[in-house]
Amino acid sequence: MVKTTAYSEHGPGRRIFDFDPGNPTIGMIALAAAPPDAATGLYSSIHPAMGTEYTLYLYARSCEEAEAAARLAFDEVDRIEDLLSHYRDGSELSRINNEAGSHEVTTDPEVFRFLESAFAWSERSHGAFDMTVGTLMKTWGFFNARGAVAAGAVQSGAVQSGAVPSGVVPSDAALREVRCQVGWEKVQLDPQRRTVRFLSAGMELDPGGIGKGYAVDRAVRVLSKAGVRAALVSAGSSSVYALGAPPGMPGWKIQIPDPGNEGAVISEVLLRDTSLSTANRSQKYFIEDGHLYGSIMDPRTLRPCEGVLQTCAIAASALDSDVLSNALFVLGAEDSACWLEELPQFSALIVSATALRHRAIRWPSSVAGMNRAKLSDYEED
Amino acid sequence: MSINRRRLLQGLTLGALSAKLPFADPMYGEAQAASAQRPVSANDRIRVGVIGPGSRGQELIRQFLKVPDVEIATVCDVYPPRFAEVEELVGKKVPGVTDYRELIDRKDIDVIVIATPPVFHAAYSIAAMESGRPVYCEKTTGFTPEENRSVVDAVERTGQIYQVGHQNRYASWFHEAIERIWRGEIGEPTHLYGYYHRTDNWRRTVPDRRLEHLFNWRLYQESSGGLFEELGSHMIDVANWLFKVDQPLAVMGTTSIVLDHDGRTVGDNVQAILDYPRGRRMFFSSITDNAFVGNSYWIYGNHGTVQITDQDATFYGQHRKTVTAASHDNAVNPTLKVGATYATDTEMPYRGPGDRIHQRKGEIPTLTACRSFIECVRVKEQPFAGVTPGFGSGMTCAIGKTAVREARQIAIPQLHDV
Repeated sequence: MVKTTAYSEHGPGRRIFDFDPGNPTIGMIALAAAPPDAATGLYSSIHPAMGTEYTLYLYARSCEEAEAAARLAFDEVDRIEDLLSHYRDGSELSRINNEAGSHEVTTDPEVFRFLESAFAWSERSHGAFDMTVGTLMKTWGFFNARGAVAAGAVQSGAVQSGAVPSGVVPSDAALREVRCQVGWEKVQLDPQRRTVRFLSAGMELDPGGIGKGYAVDRAVRVLSKAGVRAALVSAGSSSVYALGAPPGMPGWKIQIPDPGNEGAVISEVLLRDTSLSTANRSQKYFIEDGHLYGSIMDPRTLRPCEGVLQTCAIAASALDSDVLSNALFVLGAEDSACWLEELPQFSALIVSATALRHRAIRWPSSVAGMNRAKLSDYEED
Repeated sequence: MSINRRRLLQGLTLGALSAKLPFADPMYGEAQAASAQRPVSANDRIRVGVIGPGSRGQELIRQFLKVPDVEIATVCDVYPPRFAEVEELVGKKVPGVTDYRELIDRKDIDVIVIATPPVFHAAYSIAAMESGRPVYCEKTTGFTPEENRSVVDAVERTGQIYQVGHQNRYASWFHEAIERIWRGEIGEPTHLYGYYHRTDNWRRTVPDRRLEHLFNWRLYQESSGGLFEELGSHMIDVANWLFKVDQPLAVMGTTSIVLDHDGRTVGDNVQAILDYPRGRRMFFSSITDNAFVGNSYWIYGNHGTVQITDQDATFYGQHRKTVTAASHDNAVNPTLKVGATYATDTEMPYRGPGDRIHQRKGEIPTLTACRSFIECVRVKEQPFAGVTPGFGSGMTCAIGKTAVREARQIAIPQLHDV
């Protein structure tokens, strides 16, 4: 059931959606709303999907109109979840994971195109983004975690919803074993026959870092076809797409929280017909012996990425920004800056763990307004 | 033909076979190219024509495209915007026609899939079979009693393959649950209570008021049997399967409009009771404003209960005071059986765990149904969800929609009596 809420009494620039600052999973991006015009009002709907909450903000003439649009968008999100969730036994991705190790699997054109996009990004990022980390994620205990609070995390004082109870640091032997089950080049796609084949047994595709972005794109597409002109679709706030702009405004204002300073904002950007995604080390993690292990894996080292706190990427599609935010997280600030020189159509903001340094690459707005006390620690690019 | 292939044709999938086979069913794997031994067309690809590529038709297209060596050759729809949707789905241009006869007249089609409103099912199915093509037709087989009979006649006359869209017959957990029930795990199954409760009032947004009946055909009696036909037909089919009969003996029911006074002429809720031989009963309920119980089958036996959903099946037992003991070993090392652990013997609703049968990874019953249909076409076998099950649910719905509309009990003509 779609629950739609109208926002009608807020003034210009007022924050209408305060993400829980204690929950970094959804605290990546905060939205500042624009005022509605006389003809339309701003409505929001929330829908649980893909282990998070999808939020839709849109301008419509009535709550009923907004609700109808929200139903279309969220039906599409649900359809994508049915297609791509590796937590669902009946999904097409589960079928591929289950069968492609033993024989070629014919899939439908949409899933095939999605996989082509994913593996094109793997090649483009030299393996920094790689869907074949499914088995690796399980080895580290990041499967079936779904953001549940861990007793261990509570004891350690890190009571945050991203803490996972099943996290475990695998042995070197276990990682050597999983080595042959990771690697995008071990997946064979045949576009003529639309088949997928794993060249190594035990491989599994993980839609993390791309699935939510794709679902956002598809939901936006449905909204556009339904005639919606101003909407913002957010997947747990880690991937957002701004469709059009609020009435009388140049774009949707998005606030990027400072990962090193709870409640502070690192930057504000205006988005219009574009998307922004973010990756954060605390989205899902566990702590062992005082060390925090995040769920974003470096497919090359088979270990959780270190050294980066948060990445944001702006791209024309949410699939691209979702992938980029994760690839940048793996590459780190320096390598990301080099890599993005070849990709002028994308913008990025990377906050390193070390001394809270950040690197802004073609970032469309300033970082003024961020934690001023620590500005000297930041390094402009 | 291998027993594995035959079992697939009967709707048994890998999940149901897993207890009997060492690991993977080679029949089920696509690497097995045995089907190419009996091509139905010179290039060994099966070319599918689809009449009615709306929402359900497009879902069928998506699933057929997951079957190796199948292509969508032509689609037919009276609403031309569907052609662009199909093109996007298929990833290439697909010829589109607006008259079903034009599709049937084409020579480059091997099988025909029908996903129109049910009022057209029989006519299109018969025309397709008479043109020499196998048919996969969404439920129901016919809209009227006469149409259901005429489809059976057409299958017999043409010898063509006919499959009805009762995909539950291709779900491994349905198979396993029903086979376990048949083996006596819940005693004698006496009742099936089928709930299809949802929060979807079926009304679709119409881009042009002139398209109201085209888009919202489910809301009007002349094109729809309402909830009893659209949703109940699946549950009636499972009851027929469970009780090992072609169709029930009689149906009574009632329907009303409780909330959706929007001009529709079918109810937004329906309740029906169907009589089966030996006093067994099926109860069907569908409401559209509350999804608390969802889409669930409750099969009651005198020694236990089974709940079946879209994703799994769960067994619950009832305590028996005296049971047959296999040996004295049970006294020191009791063997757990259904009924010993998952017991429901008080008058409070049972809220504990059950013995669950899971859906297998990647197994969507509609995909299995489409794959099985293609296999049937290649080996020229009638499908498990063939015309007899199609007649059983179709005839029951053709009669039942009148029964619920008029709130009376009506006998259902039996397949071999009409």
